[in-house]
Amino acid sequence: MSSQNNVKGIVKQFITDNYLVASGVDGIGDNDSFMEMGLIDSTGILELLEFVEEAFTIKVDDEEVIPDNLDSLERLTLFIERKMKHADR
Amino acid sequence: MKGFDMTEFHKDVLKIDCEAEIDRISEFINEQVRLMRREGAVIGLSGGIDSALASELCVKALGREKVFGLVLPEKESNIVSKVFATKQAQKLGIETETVDITPALEGLGTYKRRDEFVKQTFPEYDPSCRIKITLPPDLLERDAFNIFTLTIDDGKGNQKSERLNKSVLNGIVAASNTKQRTRMVCLYYYAEKMNYIVCGTTNRSEVVQGFFVKYGDGGVDIEPLAHLYKIQVYQLSEYLGVVKEIINRPPSPDTYTYEVSDEEFFFRMPFDMLDHLLYAWENDVPVDDVCSVMGLKEDQVMRAFRDFNSKAKSTEHSRNMPPSLF
Repeated sequence: MSSQNNVKGIVKQFITDNYLVASGVDGIGDNDSFMEMGLIDSTGILELLEFVEEAFTIKVDDEEVIPDNLDSLERLTLFIERKMKHADR
Repeated sequence: MKGFDMTEFHKDVLKIDCEAEIDRISEFINEQVRLMRREGAVIGLSGGIDSALASELCVKALGREKVFGLVLPEKESNIVSKVFATKQAQKLGIETETVDITPALEGLGTYKRRDEFVKQTFPEYDPSCRIKITLPPDLLERDAFNIFTLTIDDGKGNQKSERLNKSVLNGIVAASNTKQRTRMVCLYYYAEKMNYIVCGTTNRSEVVQGFFVKYGDGGVDIEPLAHLYKIQVYQLSEYLGVVKEIINRPPSPDTYTYEVSDEEFFFRMPFDMLDHLLYAWENDVPVDDVCSVMGLKEDQVMRAFRDFNSKAKSTEHSRNMPPSLF
């Protein structure tokens, strides 16, 4: 789980399984905005946070719940990697 | 969506001809009562502006003898709600009845079930604490997801807030929504008994974004305000002389013990701004034009549009008939 590809793959699988099918969206690019695609609503974001915290054993603080950190596969992957690095220290 | 003529978007775009609009809505109410072969309308008076306006319009359409007001408080309602609702009914001279729905909610376990979910977040919570649920404020000023926060206040200066997880949010909402659904049951009891319709009170700003409870306040026979933005509800209410205290009262869901406004709970910006942006979003007004008319930056308008899109999409099922193979 240490490489970016692994993190991204796990997150992508979760997004695909839980949001893409329900939204009738065929695929998602690394930089596509979840918000602009209408993939994630108010309960969806809570679901995503719970998944991320559990799967990668990190704690996401309220002030970190912003689009800059979470609103695409790329942003989310980088954010998780940053959090995991901090947790390792 | 159709192309947009910029001459249609300006700061007064939502101003309406009150007299003509009242005639149009009155005709609609009258026609629907006739088509459904009913004799009048029952309306739930909450003490808020939407139900007050709907009651005014029903009286215009049907006459005060054919309009019945139901006041349906529960133990957690703001005490002024009942007072204002009764005052509005008295102003119109309509017959009313007040039914306290607290025993029904206790029977359903509304308070107990909700409190159990609150305790999952705050184990120290006891029912003497006030609670509220809110979304992040200032939608236009900063990017933030629609994350619900639960706040408890013990009334002694101790306040705690925590981001909700999905199961707790769903549990609290499910329990709280039994309040609106119980009111719907009461309204239909009286409507069927009297051969009246149930008149809804949901306005356009709420309909488009799904700010109503499916089979709760959304469970009605007609929705005479569904085409009116909230600021148009205010225009008509002023024109018709709705009770002043109701007009001056900040709109609130009146569902949680800690007073929370509709803006804090759901809309994330003041109604005047919200309604113009919502109109622009619904009518595909170019973002540049919205910026120049509203004095906003592009990222602010885009934040609002994203929020509308997300809320409209996630609540689409509430506006549609249940899917079936019929």
